[in-house]
Amino acid sequence: MTRRGFARDPAPPRAALALLAWRLGGVHDEPLVGDLIESFAERAQRDGSVAARRWFWRETARIALQSWPAPRRTPPAPTETPMKHLLNDLHFALRMVARTPTVSLLTIVTLALGIGATSAIFSVAYPALFQAPPYRDPARLALLWERDLDGTTSNIGFTTFRDLVRDSRTIESAAAMAFWQPTIVDGQQTERLQGQRVTHRFFEVLGVTPTLGRTFTPDEDRYQQNRAVVISHGLWQRRFGGDSSVLGRALAIGTYTVTIVGVLPPTFESLLSPGTEIWAPLGYDETLPWACRTCRHLRMVARIAPGISVSAAEEELSGLMAGLVQRHPTEYVVPRMALTPLHSYLVQGSRPALLTLLGAVVLVTLIACANAANLLLGRVLRRESEFAVRTALGASRRRLTGQVITEGLLLALIGGALGVLIAIGGVQLLVRLAPPGIPRLDQVRVDAGVLAFTFGLSIAAGLAASALPVLAAGRANLHGILKSGARGLTIGMRHRLRATLVVSEVALAVMLLAGATLLFQSLGRLLAVDAGFDPSRRLTMEVQVTGDAASNDTTLHAFWRAALDAVRAVPGVEHAAIASQIPLGGNLDMYSLHLEERAGANPAEDPSAMRYAVTPDFLAAMGIPLIRGRWLTAQDAEAAPSVVALNRTAAERLYPGQDPIGRRLRVGGGEDAPWRTVVGVVGNTLHRGLDAAEEMQVYLPAVQWWGESGMTLVLRTQGDPSSVTGAVRSALRSIGPPVAVEGVATMESLVSRSTAERRFALALFQAFALVALVLAGAGIYGVLSASVVERTREIGIRSALGAPRERILGFVMRQGIALAAVGVVIGVGTSIAAGGLIARLLYGVRPHEPTTLLFVTVTLGALACLACVIPAWRASRVDPVTALREG
Amino acid sequence: MPNALGEFEQLILLALVRLGDDAYGVSIQAEIARRTRRDVGPGAVYKTLLRLEEKGFVSSWLGEPTRRRGGRRKKHYRLEPAGALELRRSLAALRGMTRGLTPTLELQ
Repeated sequence: MTRRGFARDPAPPRAALALLAWRLGGVHDEPLVGDLIESFAERAQRDGSVAARRWFWRETARIALQSWPAPRRTPPAPTETPMKHLLNDLHFALRMVARTPTVSLLTIVTLALGIGATSAIFSVAYPALFQAPPYRDPARLALLWERDLDGTTSNIGFTTFRDLVRDSRTIESAAAMAFWQPTIVDGQQTERLQGQRVTHRFFEVLGVTPTLGRTFTPDEDRYQQNRAVVISHGLWQRRFGGDSSVLGRALAIGTYTVTIVGVLPPTFESLLSPGTEIWAPLGYDETLPWACRTCRHLRMVARIAPGISVSAAEEELSGLMAGLVQRHPTEYVVPRMALTPLHSYLVQGSRPALLTLLGAVVLVTLIACANAANLLLGRVLRRESEFAVRTALGASRRRLTGQVITEGLLLALIGGALGVLIAIGGVQLLVRLAPPGIPRLDQVRVDAGVLAFTFGLSIAAGLAASALPVLAAGRANLHGILKSGARGLTIGMRHRLRATLVVSEVALAVMLLAGATLLFQSLGRLLAVDAGFDPSRRLTMEVQVTGDAASNDTTLHAFWRAALDAVRAVPGVEHAAIASQIPLGGNLDMYSLHLEERAGANPAEDPSAMRYAVTPDFLAAMGIPLIRGRWLTAQDAEAAPSVVALNRTAAERLYPGQDPIGRRLRVGGGEDAPWRTVVGVVGNTLHRGLDAAEEMQVYLPAVQWWGESGMTLVLRTQGDPSSVTGAVRSALRSIGPPVAVEGVATMESLVSRSTAERRFALALFQAFALVALVLAGAGIYGVLSASVVERTREIGIRSALGAPRERILGFVMRQGIALAAVGVVIGVGTSIAAGGLIARLLYGVRPHEPTTLLFVTVTLGALACLACVIPAWRASRVDPVTALREG
Repeated sequence: MPNALGEFEQLILLALVRLGDDAYGVSIQAEIARRTRRDVGPGAVYKTLLRLEEKGFVSSWLGEPTRRRGGRRKKHYRLEPAGALELRRSLAALRGMTRGLTPTLELQ
């Protein structure tokens, strides 16, 4: 470049031009600077360029020092206000949406799915996870636990509770709670209710005032004086028709009568014991055998004093506990207490599942955003020349950016509005399908809070979708476009932008698919687990007897014998047994075991085991295998020597490397408990759930234990177990005493119920993963199609230069598969990194299970190939002549 | 007299009358410089024209960009009737004040 050597017009100083442009703000500069340049040229010819430059600088300085009117009245008159801008943009965006209805609709629908699903999951998760419990000053409420040697927490004994409440300065008030299932006998109508027995300050601790009547007095909270009950608003409406004269009414409960003293407000939610409709005073004092220090079967809730932190209260109570351990060394071991804030206690069960689902829907929404971004990007790129011209005509970059964002927001808000409908439907579906473990499900609805969330989410989605296109619009090389009419962004840049979107979509889809696959594998492994019993053709029900038959051990044992005889006579029943609890039944009875070999050991350190009081047919009725020795028989009667059978784990842990048969142990401490001889060993069963660890279990003959008024009946039937339900019910009633039958279920349904939460999470994850796959496939397809159209000319040249069709086909395929590969690698990497988040929902698989990741990789690979085929085929059909002429 | 013309405004309006269709920044400036021997800057000319246009005394339109102007367009100006009226008034006032004084002024 040696043009300097030729006679060339001298140019005015660039710095001065820049100063003018800055000072005049692009409004006045065109004609004025034109005048300056024109005069400059004249002067340069007349006086020489040095003088001309000096003149130019002087004039520039004069102009810069003057004040210039605001650009109101000067052409081109930008009379638009921001509001007008918005209306214009909106109008324009609507026109764009109307002009490309299919693509716009697709984008709106994907956004609606993402936003709707997120809002639906959010409305379920919000009351369960984030809303404070609906009690007065809930942050001060906590549950208190004793601790076990292995670090786990356990319930508390009554005497311990009393000592702590008396001595603590950090808790303001506290209550102990016990499970209660009273059966109301009202003429022919016998109904078993969910209830709670609580110490008298329970409602005061929660801060609940009854709408009718009162709560309990200290006098009512005494042994055999506890005959007052408080009922829920629901029970009041259902059973008493909302009659306000219900106060003082007597209610026959089993063998005794109670009096209604209060009705709770309709807003009260029993979160500490879901489903509870009736409360009675606990009625304990320290003299009662079940109020002992080791009788750890009560839950304790406390209101911490104002200004005291949970950890400070825990510290103080642990100090008190250390004192108790010193004074009663045979009854306590661990000198610490544990405090769980009420809110954490309520959410801990369902938190992992809900958070994982929330994460999954956020991924779906992100994919929908990426799709919307791709659509907007396509529009921006098609309108590059238009944008360039408008910039030259004075439209600021901010205006153009505003237009892209308006379009993104419009799509997202329409999507959000549809999303609200999806959320309303989705919430109903979720509440219907949800497993029972999710707290406060009855509070779930699409309310103002959820609508606000949806609105915010829509705005966020719109902005997220506009971000990349805005970047593209900003990068466009306007000068180049105007000069040559060429494209502003190079093909490489366009491709990179689109590639970014596809890679993110694929990566997100990989994460969702990996999650869904892991949950699927978990469920498969879980269902393949041997529960230790045979669930097929087994029917169970909880039977409660009331009246005189329930008055003492003798009448109770007699009633259960009669009940078994009556049920065995029902056609179709092969085996029938009664048990105090059954695996997966939801009860948990644990008793300490004291071995004869270790008679001198501290009873506080005795191991505990699940205790089943059963009748002889139990093993056959459940299908549990006998491993050693003999099973309990009818000969093990009340007066016969006391016996016990152990499960395999109990035998191995209590008598490692020895033969347990013939050894003796006590079940449930106390010096007066009889020594029981071990007669046999049976297989393990999974009691708490299919994912539970193996635990020690002991079986006793029901007649060698005290009589219980509520037992579980287990039947093995010849055919369909549910077909005998009616006949069994009438057989039980025909015995005479009033009987309530609840919880009729086949063993198979109990197994399936124990996996309900997993199946729920899996079903949702599968749906989300499917949506993600479709969107990611559509994304790859869209990007490749656009890329092929843009490169028509290049492909034409290649083909004209003799590239065979197969090579062009392979070239495009490779391009798509390469994108998918990058996405898969990122997705797999992120899945491994984020694996911990889903780990708590998994069973028997690791978060980074190689087979899962392989499956995900292969699926996404196949999807990518499928999405590439049509664009690649189209590319291979490009006619070089047409391509070159048109391009 | 809010609309009373300043001296420089008068000069510019008179230049417009003289230049007719060819009035734009550079030609106006050159006309004034040639006849008054004053070196007026383009900025002053442009700013005064803005003010006159705001008052409705002149109107303007954009022409074609030329290479000599670095690709910028010319802004052409034309005297509007209101401007012409004001100019006449202003000159009449001046004439009224100078009548009979010419010999004295020329002596000094």
